[in-house]
Amino acid sequence: MATEPMTNPVEDTVAKVDGYVAVGEDLEFQRRWWRFERVVWTVFVLILVCDLLGLLGRGYLAKAQSKTSDQSVTMDYERIERTNTPSIITVNFGPGAIHGGEVRLFVSGSVVKELGAQRVVPQPKTSEIGDGGVTYTFEANRLPATVDIALSPSLPGIHHFTLGVPGSEMVQAKVTVLP
Amino acid sequence: MITILYAVAGYFFLLLTVRVLARRPGAQLTMFEFVLIFLMGGVIIAATAANDRSLTNCTCAVIAVGLVHRMVAMLKARYPKLGAVVDGVPLVLRERGEWKEDVMRKMRMAPEDVAAAGRAKGIRSIDQIDYAILERSGEISTIRTEEK
Repeated sequence: MATEPMTNPVEDTVAKVDGYVAVGEDLEFQRRWWRFERVVWTVFVLILVCDLLGLLGRGYLAKAQSKTSDQSVTMDYERIERTNTPSIITVNFGPGAIHGGEVRLFVSGSVVKELGAQRVVPQPKTSEIGDGGVTYTFEANRLPATVDIALSPSLPGIHHFTLGVPGSEMVQAKVTVLP
Repeated sequence: MITILYAVAGYFFLLLTVRVLARRPGAQLTMFEFVLIFLMGGVIIAATAANDRSLTNCTCAVIAVGLVHRMVAMLKARYPKLGAVVDGVPLVLRERGEWKEDVMRKMRMAPEDVAAAGRAKGIRSIDQIDYAILERSGEISTIRTEEK
């Protein structure tokens, strides 16, 4: 069977400059793109400024402190953290926290799971699980008494945690973990 | 799973960053561009693989990037507007022997760059260049005045 002859002429669809050079230039698109580039570079600069200030973690504005009203527990931590990046929660005990040469510290399970507690320094004398967390017991006779909890969050998100001396007021905090 | 998401996000972020860096004259890589490629590539690798440097994880990440690249290539072919976004559009730098000043300035081009492209085609001076076009690859095409 004979095929129908092509009646449509073959046309060059590429836009021509001066009807002479087939370039395919789209200056209107390019002008929009230049405006977009300016926006992107502004955003990039803002990201760097936020990073320098610590709004993306590991900087001045990322650092935070919480304490109980009786100041028996003061906690220094980073309110903004990054996934798989080490950080430290420092817990300072006041005189009201030490009883009988010991100090007890309860940390909620989110510190171990979501915030990825790697180790506790000094090593606790005992560890006891229950009430949705872990209660550590340390020997302590004199002030200042400090415990460091090394973290390395494994998942991004907003994580809440509680920490304090059992039977006393607890310190509550929120940590935002960035990807 | 998270590595695949990081790899895909890293691909598009690198694509955006490289795209908003203005095209430089000459399609070949200079030492200047090598610094960018190695440094950016290294940083993205570290963030993508994170602590899991297993062969399984890295294989999945490489496959994910390959698939995304193929998909972008297919979409580019199907939708010319997307092609313009990803690769840019050709731009006329010199038209009928006159410079297009705003395009030259915004693409950070100097007449010397066009003259160099002309010399590669045996054109001795800028006066002999009727049209100069900055191609999507970064190359500059030139057309002689007398060729018209």
